[in-house]
Amino acid sequence: MSVATMDIPHEAASDEASLAQQARQRARRHRQLVLLGQLAILLVIVAGWQIAAVTGFIDPFFFGSPWGICVRLWDWALNGTAYGSFWLQIWVTLEESILGFVVGVVSGIVFGVLLGEIRYLAEVIGPYIKIVNALPRIVLGSIFVMWLGLGLPSKVLLAAVLVFFVVFFNAFQGVRSVDRNLISNARILGASRLQVVRHVVFPSAMTWIIASLHVALGFSIIGAIVGEFLGSQRGLGLVIATAQNTFDANGVFGAMLVIGGLALSAEWLMAKLEKRLLAWQPGNSRDSAIQGT
Amino acid sequence: MSARSEGLGGVELSNVTKRFVSPTGAAMTAIRNVDLTVEPGQFCAIVGPTGCGKSTTLTLAAGLERPTAGTVRVSGQPVDGITRNVSFMFQTDALLPWKPVLDNVALGPMFKGTPRREAHARAMDWLRTVGLSGFEHHYPHQLSGGMRKRVSLAAALINEPSVLLMDEPFSALDVQTRAIMSNELLTLWDRRRPSVMFVTHDLEEAIGLADKVVVITAGPGTVKAVFDIDLPRPRGAVQDIRFDPRFLELYRQIWAALREEVDEAYSRSATAAKAQGARA
Repeated sequence: MSVATMDIPHEAASDEASLAQQARQRARRHRQLVLLGQLAILLVIVAGWQIAAVTGFIDPFFFGSPWGICVRLWDWALNGTAYGSFWLQIWVTLEESILGFVVGVVSGIVFGVLLGEIRYLAEVIGPYIKIVNALPRIVLGSIFVMWLGLGLPSKVLLAAVLVFFVVFFNAFQGVRSVDRNLISNARILGASRLQVVRHVVFPSAMTWIIASLHVALGFSIIGAIVGEFLGSQRGLGLVIATAQNTFDANGVFGAMLVIGGLALSAEWLMAKLEKRLLAWQPGNSRDSAIQGT
Repeated sequence: MSARSEGLGGVELSNVTKRFVSPTGAAMTAIRNVDLTVEPGQFCAIVGPTGCGKSTTLTLAAGLERPTAGTVRVSGQPVDGITRNVSFMFQTDALLPWKPVLDNVALGPMFKGTPRREAHARAMDWLRTVGLSGFEHHYPHQLSGGMRKRVSLAAALINEPSVLLMDEPFSALDVQTRAIMSNELLTLWDRRRPSVMFVTHDLEEAIGLADKVVVITAGPGTVKAVFDIDLPRPRGAVQDIRFDPRFLELYRQIWAALREEVDEAYSRSATAAKAQGARA
C-alpha cells in the first residue's frame, strides 16, 4: 500500500509530458488565485463604500456612492451633459490628449536626438531646458488659455509641453548612452553620419524613449484635463469642474472613472506597441512570448 | 618607408605617438614612437601586456583616432578620416541587437548604397560561407557566442576589405570554440588574403595564426621586437600546430621577450593597487 502511494508521484515526475502538465496547472492555479484576490479587494471596497453610504456612516452628499455613480453615468450616457452629449466630452478630451501626446513625443524625440548628437547645441541650450523643466509647467496652462483661447489648441499645447520634457530627457540620455563600439563599427563599414543616427543611434535610444512613453501618456491626459479645468467649453475636465461647483460628488467620481478607463486602455495599447517595437530584446522575442502564453 | 607597404592593404605606422588628454588635463600616453609595418596580405599579430596600447594601433589604422605625432599610412595613403576599405572586429560583438542576423551582415553594402535586395543576397552568401544559413532571421541574442562571432566575421568580410583589424576578437569565447573560430578565420583569410592586424594577449593564438608577431612593451607601448613566423601555410588546425617543434621554439623566443613586459606591467598595476589601498 505504502509502496503504491510512493510510486504514483515518482512515476508522474519521471515523465516529461506530465511534468510540464503539472507546471502548467500550477501556473494556472496561481493566476486564478491572484485574480480572485484582486476581485475580492474590489468587492470589499465597492460593497463597503455602498453599505457605508446607505447606512449613513459616510455622507453620500460629499462622498457619493457606487450606486449613485452608476446612476449618474447612466444619466449622462442617456441624456448627455449641459454642453452636449457625454460621448462628445470623452471624444474632445481624447482628441486633445492624443494630439498633445503626438506633438510632445515627436518634438521630444527630435530635440532629444539633436541635442544628444550635437554636443555644442546641448551645451548651449541645456541650461535653458533645465530652467523651463524646473518651472511648475501646469501653470503654463493659464498662459496658454489666455493666448489660444478656450478651444482645443490650448489643451493640446499644455499636454504637449508636459509630454515633451519626459520624452526629451529620455531620448537625450538614450542617445548619449549608445555603445561607442556600435557607432565606430558602423562608421568603419562606411555609414554616413545620418546613417549612423538612423541605423544605430535612434534604434538604440528607442529603448529609453519607449520607457518614457508610459509616463508621457499619463501626462498627456493630465495636460488635457487640467487645460479643460482652467478654461474650456467642452471636455471631461469641464464635466468635473462643473460637478465640483454643484457639489455633485457622484459626478466627479463618475468622470474620474471614465478617465481612468481611458488611461487604462491607452496603457494597454502602449504595452502592445512596446512589445512589437522591442521584439528584438532578449525576453521579448517571439519564442518567449509563446512560452509566456 | 618600405615600398611593399605602399601596395593595397599595406599598413605603415612610422614614429607614431598617441596621447590621450582628459577634459581635466591629465595626459596619458598610450603608445610612443611606434614603427610598425604590415605588408599587403600579411597576417600580423600584435601581442603585449594589458594596457600597453595594442588596441590604439588599430584605432589609428582605422582612422577612428588621429596620432599625436608621426604618420599612419594605409595602402600608401596618409590616414585622415575613417580609412576606406578596412573592417574592424571588436572584442565585444558590434552587432546591432535590434536587427536580425541578415540585416546585420548586409549593413556594409547597405551603407555603401547597394540596393537592399542585392545586399541581402550577398549577406545570404556570406552567412552560408560561415555556416549560418537558416539563422538569417534570428536576432543576435538568440545565437551562441561562437555564432555571433561568425556573424561579425561575415559582416566584416562582406565589404571585401583590404585590411582587417581585429581587437582580441575571440577572447570572450571558450577554448574549444576559439580554436574552431581561429581555423575558420584562417580559411576565410586565405580566400582573398587581406592584410590583418590581430591584437591578442594569447601568444599561442598569435603564433598559430600570424606571419609576423610584434611584441609591444608595457605602456606607454612601443615596439620591442618583431618575429617572423616561418611556419608553412596552410597551417592546418591551430590545435595541432602547437606541437610542431618550430612552433615551440618560436614560442620560447617570443615569450622571453614578452615575459619581461608582462612582469613589468603586472608589478606596476600591483604598486598602483597598493598605493590606492594605502590612500583608502
